[in-house]
Amino acid sequence: MTAVTTAPAQRGLSRLHPLTPLLRGARALAVIVAAISWQGYAQLGLSRWLLLVLALLLLALVLAAVSWLVTGYAVVGRELRIAEGLLFRRHRTIPLERLQAVDVVRPVLARLTGLAELKLEVVGAHKTEAPLSYLTLRQAALLREHLLTVAAADWVPMPGVALPLPAVADPDAATVPLMPPDEITLPGAVPGERLVHAVANRRLLASQLLTTHVWVAPLALLAVALPYLESPVWTFVGVASTVTALGGVLARPVRRIVDDWHFRIGSGPAGLTLRHGLLETRVQTLPARRVQAVGVTWPLLWRLAGWVHASIDVAGYGAHDRQAETHVDRLLPVAAPETARRVVADVLGGVDFADLRPIPAPRRARWLAPLRQPRLGVAVPDSVLAIWDGWLTRELVLVPYARVQSVRVVQGPLRRALHLADVHVDTAGALRAVATHRDAREAYALAEEVSQRARAARSRSV
Amino acid sequence: MPSRHPADLPDPLAAWPETIAWQPVSHRLVWLAQAHLLAWSAAALLVCAVAGAWLGVWPALAVAALVVVGTAVRAVLIVRTVRAWGYAERDADLLVRHGLLVRRLSIVPYARMQYVDVTAGPLERLLGLATVQMHTAAAASNARVPGLSDADAARLRDRLTALGELQQEGL
Repeated sequence: MTAVTTAPAQRGLSRLHPLTPLLRGARALAVIVAAISWQGYAQLGLSRWLLLVLALLLLALVLAAVSWLVTGYAVVGRELRIAEGLLFRRHRTIPLERLQAVDVVRPVLARLTGLAELKLEVVGAHKTEAPLSYLTLRQAALLREHLLTVAAADWVPMPGVALPLPAVADPDAATVPLMPPDEITLPGAVPGERLVHAVANRRLLASQLLTTHVWVAPLALLAVALPYLESPVWTFVGVASTVTALGGVLARPVRRIVDDWHFRIGSGPAGLTLRHGLLETRVQTLPARRVQAVGVTWPLLWRLAGWVHASIDVAGYGAHDRQAETHVDRLLPVAAPETARRVVADVLGGVDFADLRPIPAPRRARWLAPLRQPRLGVAVPDSVLAIWDGWLTRELVLVPYARVQSVRVVQGPLRRALHLADVHVDTAGALRAVATHRDAREAYALAEEVSQRARAARSRSV
Repeated sequence: MPSRHPADLPDPLAAWPETIAWQPVSHRLVWLAQAHLLAWSAAALLVCAVAGAWLGVWPALAVAALVVVGTAVRAVLIVRTVRAWGYAERDADLLVRHGLLVRRLSIVPYARMQYVDVTAGPLERLLGLATVQMHTAAAASNARVPGLSDADAARLRDRLTALGELQQEGL
């Protein structure tokens, strides 16, 4: 037992950065203030309130310091080991073969102090595995490189996937540097990495103005305000609740803008790198073979401007995300279709989705999907399965055959009467890939074809 | 299987899912399913009896009659539901199909197997049955074969793990 309970430094484990307790304490301050609330402030008076906050802050700092003292990490062979906890000691060993993605996250305070947080995504974990917070940015970058190198050591890339793409006139052609200005001097860029695409901030702003949330908000405000115009009695509760409700509606577009600011996609030997964030910056590194599926969406309002959205599905992301709606991570917050073609081709090894010709669903599918039927489609090109769906918001899901886990054909009573069936293609990710309302015979043939191709793709990639 | 009761399959789908040599599950699964059904309807009748004491006899009797008729219909259908289960071990994947109303076919490659579960509840054990379930990294994958005799379950499990190891690949 003595060996287990000794301090990490004595067992070859590295400690986190010494500023960690301070940053954690600062984070706790917000929680403390929120917990005491303004009501507490009114009851206690200023001096006693300050005293209470100070006492709690001190307690938080001491706890954070103790936690820092007993936390350590080390990379041993092909494993990352993390030890933590004073009373309940926990030693976690993470096999790096299961590593899906590595994020370097820098909240505002960490950016001010030159620190960063390293987050590992591992399949089967219910939450982000062992966020190593905080390390210096250099340490974090080095550790990330090391982890990814070790994780990829046993893997040989799929042969012959990098097809040259026809040159497309790209209105978004990037002339921006790969890194946001404040990170240029820091060792965040991997050697051999190139910029695939940078999303212009003004386009991001414009795209979020073109969301239903933003368009509904003024209407809702009007509906609330009209009665007031007749009898202008301004009650505090009324105004406050309206503002709160409005804030709730607008929270999502605002969060999108803040999260996706300075969105840059890089591609390098370690895989795909996504960099974004206004206040809290995040650098996500996704090994190419970890991409379970790619989705392209044409939201209704964006079609006016001809924009699309692209998302990427990685196992592990989503199992624990704060917002259920962002289960699948974004690859392109907004882009012109040509850009999306280029970026998606880059991710999926040369698949140009504009070249794919969907096989439509039979006309009798209108009985079950009167509006969607003309939009339903499936294509089975060489390396991915493509499924089109959606009426108002059109969607395209691309699943590499090599990532297919299982295939199912489901046929309910109505579909059987109409001789239709659905084909579900399951991956380890969260993006649903369902070819709905196919001709029954075709559905079974499609299921067989997909599983044959998946088998071939597996034997190629092993 | 289609040859046994052609009335089940009016669709001209004599294409590939029918050409597979489907292995049926044990006929004893019928008894298991009937036992489950009886337990549920007994519980429902009990609720009816209690409700009848509170709310009057006639509505409770009507509901109870419905429960009895439903149970009878289901009991007849269970035989066909059990017959609808089938599995086939191919070179690289396991096929499982089931469902009478909603028909489902799953194709799960051995290479994608994460682990295999063999479960048997008290009733299943009494009947000498077991359920084999193969899990992949996708939560939606559904490769569950109930109503296998103990020997069949053990054989299938061993075969799955052996093939899975042979063709293993991560995600």
